[in-house]
Amino acid sequence: MTATIVAMLSMTVVGLCIALAIDRSLRGPMLLGLAYLYGSGAIFIVMFVMTILHIRWNLVTVSVLLIAIAALALIRRQPGTVNRPPVKPHWLDIPTAISIIGFGLFATAAPLWEWDFWAIWGLKARLFLDHGGIDWRFLESPWNAFVHPDYPLLVPFNFDFVALFNGGWSDRWLGLLSVGWAAAVLLIIRGLASDESSVVPAALVTLVVTDLAASRYPGLAEGPLIAFGVGGLLFIRRALQNNDSAAWRHGPILLGLAASTKNEGLALLVSATIALLIIRRRDVWRLWPSVAIAAPWLILRATHYLPTDIASGSALSRVLYRSRFTGDILNYLAAHLYEPWFWGSILLGLLIAPSVMRRREGFVLIATVMQIGFYIGSYFATPHDARWHVVTSWPRLTDQMAIPITYVVFLALAKYVAAMKDSPDVEARPVES
Amino acid sequence: MPFVNHRVLSIILTRWPETQMPGDWLRFPRFLQGVRARTKEGDKITVIIPSMKWDEGYSYAFYRSSYFLTGRQVLPLVDAEDHSHMENFYGSQYVMVWHRPVHPRMGKVVWEGEGGALLER
Repeated sequence: MTATIVAMLSMTVVGLCIALAIDRSLRGPMLLGLAYLYGSGAIFIVMFVMTILHIRWNLVTVSVLLIAIAALALIRRQPGTVNRPPVKPHWLDIPTAISIIGFGLFATAAPLWEWDFWAIWGLKARLFLDHGGIDWRFLESPWNAFVHPDYPLLVPFNFDFVALFNGGWSDRWLGLLSVGWAAAVLLIIRGLASDESSVVPAALVTLVVTDLAASRYPGLAEGPLIAFGVGGLLFIRRALQNNDSAAWRHGPILLGLAASTKNEGLALLVSATIALLIIRRRDVWRLWPSVAIAAPWLILRATHYLPTDIASGSALSRVLYRSRFTGDILNYLAAHLYEPWFWGSILLGLLIAPSVMRRREGFVLIATVMQIGFYIGSYFATPHDARWHVVTSWPRLTDQMAIPITYVVFLALAKYVAAMKDSPDVEARPVES
Repeated sequence: MPFVNHRVLSIILTRWPETQMPGDWLRFPRFLQGVRARTKEGDKITVIIPSMKWDEGYSYAFYRSSYFLTGRQVLPLVDAEDHSHMENFYGSQYVMVWHRPVHPRMGKVVWEGEGGALLER
């Protein structure tokens, strides 16, 4: 346990330097949340570069590079772009904190137990630790296709960082990393919401999404994907709405790290790009950091011919064949929708919100719809039994996209209510965008 | 539940991977740890279990072995379509036999314990 905590604190310290280098005005919960995410991302990038350069991982080599990055970050500090007021605590933050403690107790109740942990994420981490870097021979073996060799490697590398501190592999306390990712995204949400609303809606929306951030699958890549993906989308939203140059740096970096976490993160990057093309075409170039972070792994996995199961065989013929059963597949998805009342509430909230607000939130709404469209499309292309694939993945996938849309609907309604209180005649005029 | 009955939760989750498949697998991780201690990096190992059907436990045994025996090369004897791959048996240096009687033609017993045996070919 001590090794895991020390590793997490180390990554947070490195991340603090990086976060402040990107945005000097960061403070409070947003700084802490971003510090953890950037630290986690820095570990991935350092260990990835080392394995490309054939430098064997050990605690000294990895630490030296991380310290060098932190030192460089301290030298190169961007000027602050926003004068942020401090985040005021509220008693509604207490149940959020208790929920995260509960998640911590759950995630560390036993050695990580999920099938996908020990068959995919943990297996790769343990293998790479023994090997001192990526074991390409293992990934290229057709017998090992079950590990999904094409999946990005941020999560296994973070596990390996803990193992380096631990002096060997142990899956006993790795669940703490998942708690860290959940807490980080909640801190970011709390900070972002505080910047644009009063303390009660900010604390309340954080509490509402706590259950979604604390992914039910500790040890899997769902939690970090949610953390990086949500952070990325919400910072780009902020950049679009406030012309905040620091948010234009955070959003694309976080989206790039989401794409380094899971293939769904790559899809999210495409969804965000399409949404940005629709909303504000001239700013699409600003996503270049995402591409720069995601591209090396995509190139390497292509050069090593690592297969992607969805694209294996003739994906197009499967799509064409299943398109005849579109109605059945959509009905099946509707029947297996996780927490339908929740999605119903979101839809209702969207309908209630004034159209000006819906337009203002176009980026997040379009990105969410695109991403869910990609997920649904994958069920048409899957080489597996489509029913099995839906049952085993649909709830997880919809969870991934639930936070950004909850955030925007919740805050849009909160602002609408606040505006009505301030001015009873508000319904007679459009809400200012 | 994490607040109310943490000990029970801990027991359930510790056994979770071994209780998701039909059959008695509770000692399988300890058996695999024993195999890991008696083999070295790069060794080719295959696994024989009572049901040699992919969806009736073989996939679990193969994946679980791959996790506990990283560094070694774990090879399956059946694939997802339940096709037999005896070439992996003949190409392996070790055979793990779990909850099945050992036949002399499988190899020489190196170690027995935790419900299984490790044989050298």
